[in-house]
Amino acid sequence: MPPRRQYRETRYAYATVLPVVLIVALFTLYPFAFALLTSLREVVLYRPWSQPFVGLKNYLDVVRSEFFVASWQHTLTFVAWAVPLATLLGFAVAHLLNARTPLAPLLNVVILLPWAIPTVISGIIWAWIFNSSYGAFNGALYSLGLIDSYLPWLSRPRSALACVLFAHIWKEVPLTSILYLAALQAIPEELYDAARVDGAGALAALRRITVPLVLPTTLIVLVYETMVGIVTFDLLYVMTGGGPAGATSLISYYLYNSMFVAFNFGQGAALAVLLALALVALIALYLRLLRSEEIYAT
Amino acid sequence: MSGRRVLRSGLPVVLSLALAAYILAPFAWVALSSIQPEKELFRVPPRWIPRVLTVDNYRFVFTGRFPAGYEETGIARGRISEKARDALPALRNSTIVAVSVALANLVLGTLAAYTFSRLRFPGAGPLYSFILASRLLPPMAVAIPYYLIVNRLGLLDRYAALILIHTVFTLPFTVWFLTVYFRRVPPDLEEAAFVDGCTRLQALVRIVVPVTAPALAAATAFSFMFSYNDFPFALFVTSTIRSQTIPVIVANTAINPDVSFGVVAVTVVLTMLPPVAFAMAFRRYITRGLITVTTTR
Repeated sequence: MPPRRQYRETRYAYATVLPVVLIVALFTLYPFAFALLTSLREVVLYRPWSQPFVGLKNYLDVVRSEFFVASWQHTLTFVAWAVPLATLLGFAVAHLLNARTPLAPLLNVVILLPWAIPTVISGIIWAWIFNSSYGAFNGALYSLGLIDSYLPWLSRPRSALACVLFAHIWKEVPLTSILYLAALQAIPEELYDAARVDGAGALAALRRITVPLVLPTTLIVLVYETMVGIVTFDLLYVMTGGGPAGATSLISYYLYNSMFVAFNFGQGAALAVLLALALVALIALYLRLLRSEEIYAT
Repeated sequence: MSGRRVLRSGLPVVLSLALAAYILAPFAWVALSSIQPEKELFRVPPRWIPRVLTVDNYRFVFTGRFPAGYEETGIARGRISEKARDALPALRNSTIVAVSVALANLVLGTLAAYTFSRLRFPGAGPLYSFILASRLLPPMAVAIPYYLIVNRLGLLDRYAALILIHTVFTLPFTVWFLTVYFRRVPPDLEEAAFVDGCTRLQALVRIVVPVTAPALAAATAFSFMFSYNDFPFALFVTSTIRSQTIPVIVANTAINPDVSFGVVAVTVVLTMLPPVAFAMAFRRYITRGLITVTTTR
């Protein structure tokens, strides 16, 4: 390539890439640096003029707080249920979407609906379904004679988290099943034919062909769902408000509370940094898994 | 053996029906709630097939005329439900913001992705990785700084603030998605165009864009839907109906325990219409796009 054209190309490249890089940098690097600096100072709303440097005090205060430990426990409980459920159900539903049943075309349309609507909207709908005075769930149990009177599902610690989990799964499974559908369709049919010829049953084919070949998708789904689970906020805002007694106050909601309700920005920033680090650690783990899997594939 | 065959062909149908019911039931519940008088909604047990239908809740949201019988259930109820009338201006706000975000993605994302897919220049790899990695930052971790940046730019409670933030959060996906797509287009056609004296930009607009139109449509749909559906950012950087989007208005109306369910159900139905219409219109592109980017290596 002549140097003149080379120069023009490079100039064009930066002109098209830099707007995106700059706008993304302004809204990621600066905020993160800001959060990092704020986390080292005592910043509370009622003393805006005095922001003394306190080192790691905010971090220590945050980590020692019983609410911090409790909110991580709730978050991990939630994620420990949500991720396997979203993954396994997605895998199962993908088989239904891929099946040659008369309903498959309809299902392929319907499946997009929960994914398409705002998360807060699905939260509102499910909060109504579990509502204690007007709820389809109570209504159904009552009609079936399983309960004598309506129960406050969203005001009991255990059932509240289960209700949020239910709404979360309803919203998440469409995407995971579409991703798995993609993976299933990419598997050559001949593999299954060959397995059948060799006398392998459906279960053996599932274990020896399907599961290994959808492994890259499984990794994407696992990591994506873990991230989405950890940062769950919208559902909690409309379904439980973090209650009852903090039982559904997952880490993102706890963070929101300490910043926008308690107005302790220093501690909020420390929490934010810890959350970001946890997610980055997770991604590092994911990349590692992905790399080892690629070695396996070659 | 025949029993097993019935099971093999019948079971998927039964499961498919159950799945469809599971997905659709909540939509049916909220749609039915929106067309019944409040009294009917509180029946124990509920009437699964409604007997009394009304358009009063819709009329209230569109004209402000109170549905009959709301005075009986408490005076505060009417005043609280009044907030639901903000749904229409909020829908307008949401549409303006989401369309702007989609257009920004279409222009900036297409230009950057094409460059990443074709050109070699110093720093290309790190810049690409930086854009993708920026998406890992949890929204809540940057919420306060966002508020402060937006405040300093004088954009609090303005469309521009939300458009900027949503654009930042959608661009990484758009760039990745389109880069993967553009790499699949053989460069031969463009090479021929360069011989004829075409510039990069002309080649992109005249040759690459037409053949990747479905991918561009999918990317536009994704960014529109992300922006329209976003809740946390909209909650933090908007404060009045001047810029508040529909998820914020509906959520803040719905969490009030004294609000009228029927009226909020109307706003929920109205909120769902645009993204559902969008998802249906772009359905093939969305599914095919997801399939392509997640199975391309």
